Amino acid sequence: MAIRRNSRLLIEPPASATGDIAFNLIVFFLVCASVQPDSGRKQTIPKAEQTEQKDQQTDTISVELTRQAVFLNGDPVTPKDFGPRIKAKLDARSNPAEKVVVVKSKPDTPYNHWIAVTSQIEDAGGIVTLQLEEEQTVTVP
Amino acid sequence: MAMGDIAFNLLIFFVILARAQDDSHLQWTPAKAENLEQAGHSMVSVVVDTENKLYLNGQEIGVGQLASAIEDQLGDAPPGERTVLLKVHQEAVALRFEPVIEAVSEAGGDLVHIVEDVKKASKK
Repeated sequence: MAIRRNSRLLIEPPASATGDIAFNLIVFFLVCASVQPDSGRKQTIPKAEQTEQKDQQTDTISVELTRQAVFLNGDPVTPKDFGPRIKAKLDARSNPAEKVVVVKSKPDTPYNHWIAVTSQIEDAGGIVTLQLEEEQTVTVP
Repeated sequence: MAMGDIAFNLLIFFVILARAQDDSHLQWTPAKAENLEQAGHSMVSVVVDTENKLYLNGQEIGVGQLASAIEDQLGDAPPGERTVLLKVHQEAVALRFEPVIEAVSEAGGDLVHIVEDVKKASKK
């Protein structure tokens, strides 16, 4: 006696359900994407103002950044030493107005270097102020 | 059947609409820092991507128009609700990102640098 084999081994889900499945998948991924919060560092930078170039006050802390190096009041500092040294300088000042640290960066200073240094200044209690160079156009007659 | 399709198409429409305002399609790698806090809700997001292009809420913009555009977005929001999220690619240079910071400051925004926690980054 011949046995009839069932050729329909795979049973497809009803086509009407695919829309609902896609809908639920989209909702799932949308919820996943919107739940992730951003984390970051707040930074208070004094409002920009144009000032004439003046003689640098001797008691202002200045930090210069190049592509890889840091200079504290003109002296080169290793990244490891920078934190303790800026903290020592800021701790010696009680007046909040004296805790302003002027940060001047070379044009090729990368953001990861910049944020690492300015974070250390803020963690030490300093107020970061940016010194930007003004672009000047000179017309030659 | 038709109801499901209508809902599906409406959803796709709104997702695409929302993406125009969103910056999740932009490519940038966050820098690493310590002592981070939650950035919270913000109406304004500024991105400097891997190609050094500048975006405000997902739309490309020039640095010259940035301050006024941020001011428009923030409107009369009170202090504490004027958060501006700044997402700068870690290799972007000062020549590019410092004028952006200056523009946020000029517009009276509360600047939050979006960065990655050093501890989390070292675990990866």
